[in-house]
Amino acid sequence: MTHTLHRRGNEDSLRDDFVIFAIAAQSVNAKGIAPKFEDFYRIVKKHNPSNTGDMKKGNEFVLGDEAVGRDMLDNSIVHAVFNDEKTVVKVLKELKEADLGLSIVVSGIIHSIDQCCRKNDMKMHTVERSLGIWGKRELLPDEPVLEISTMCGHGMIPFKLVDKMAEDISRNRITTRDAAVVIAKQCHCGVVNVPRVERILDMMAGK
Amino acid sequence: MEINKETCIGCALCVNYCPMSCISIREGRSFIDQDECVECGVCKNSGVCPVDAIYEPEMDEKRNLRKTFSNPLISHSSTSVPGRGTEEMKTNDVTGRFKMGFTGIAAELGRPGTGTRFSDVQKVAQACARHKVEFEPLNPVTTIMTDRKKGLIDDRFLNEKVLSAIVEFIVPDEKVKGVLEDLMKISNEIDTVFSLDICGVADASGKPFFEKVVQEMGLEFSINGKVNVGLGRPLAEVL
Repeated sequence: MTHTLHRRGNEDSLRDDFVIFAIAAQSVNAKGIAPKFEDFYRIVKKHNPSNTGDMKKGNEFVLGDEAVGRDMLDNSIVHAVFNDEKTVVKVLKELKEADLGLSIVVSGIIHSIDQCCRKNDMKMHTVERSLGIWGKRELLPDEPVLEISTMCGHGMIPFKLVDKMAEDISRNRITTRDAAVVIAKQCHCGVVNVPRVERILDMMAGK
Repeated sequence: MEINKETCIGCALCVNYCPMSCISIREGRSFIDQDECVECGVCKNSGVCPVDAIYEPEMDEKRNLRKTFSNPLISHSSTSVPGRGTEEMKTNDVTGRFKMGFTGIAAELGRPGTGTRFSDVQKVAQACARHKVEFEPLNPVTTIMTDRKKGLIDDRFLNEKVLSAIVEFIVPDEKVKGVLEDLMKISNEIDTVFSLDICGVADASGKPFFEKVVQEMGLEFSINGKVNVGLGRPLAEVL
């Protein structure tokens, strides 16, 4: 649920953070739809996403993108991360033309998504908004850790791992890119935005 | 998850791979606090252990419940959906689950990164049930309720801890304000956090009804969100 909704960050931090994913309704149109997920994957891959994954199999940093793109299942949920609005407009255009029948969901800054839809003569159908985190907030770490950890909505990125990667970068034990990939590998769905993680880790490490 | 004490070398690499921070080093070996472990599998699936000492033992019903709610690779048997087990608005163009005049609300307890006991899930569910909400039937939390009108969860599971669990329901638009007010109150009475979301069908102007209510209450949205762009087929009736 809402696995790409509650990503933390201000407008500057989130400006390059878009996820497009495809899902079928198990009670309506899922039976026999697996090949359509492969069509979806071919379309998104043409536009150089910075991460991809299928919740049923794993992400491209663990499996490689060829493995992500084959053997889709009727209950696959297939994701691709993009880093600019222009590309999202192009991907949506192709998905609209392909008419796959899959439900397509876009996560990102709401007014940007609205623009992407309008440029393709599409309308937002159903909108979901986050009202933030409620309850015992004193249990939470600092905001930069949250910004990285919440990129995996299933909670697969431990707070401690984020701190450890930032510390290792600051001590030159690991490159920022490698640290971001270590973090991205934890998220099966492939929705971690690796360039954004790199940017936040560098800030945490004082680089 | 458990640690094979015979093979563990006490390198502590696994300690940073536990979302619940329940792995520590005791007597030179890794130790997993079983009461806090939610069976998410992150430690094992990360492949970080150099001697493959992390293993999943045979699980009883309660440990399996923890795993089902915590490991997103597992599809919930009640819904066939992996992840947290619910399609919510992702397929609304096809299912028509949320129609004009109604608002969907979901409180995901334990997110981000704190985990939750079902006793806290029940507190939130009870607060919502007082408004006669319709709990989403295709949601794993709803399936372990013993009384959906009161939001009661099976007693056997109240002390079980999971990475997160979603209380999800639909209300007529006119009830949104009251539900949000009660969620604010109950958020002070739980030992964890919840991430709260709200969703609805966009009207002709491109805005869902709930935006007005939330703004009138003085609450703030995050600037980002999630949008179903209406390409699913066959399209369901939502008016």
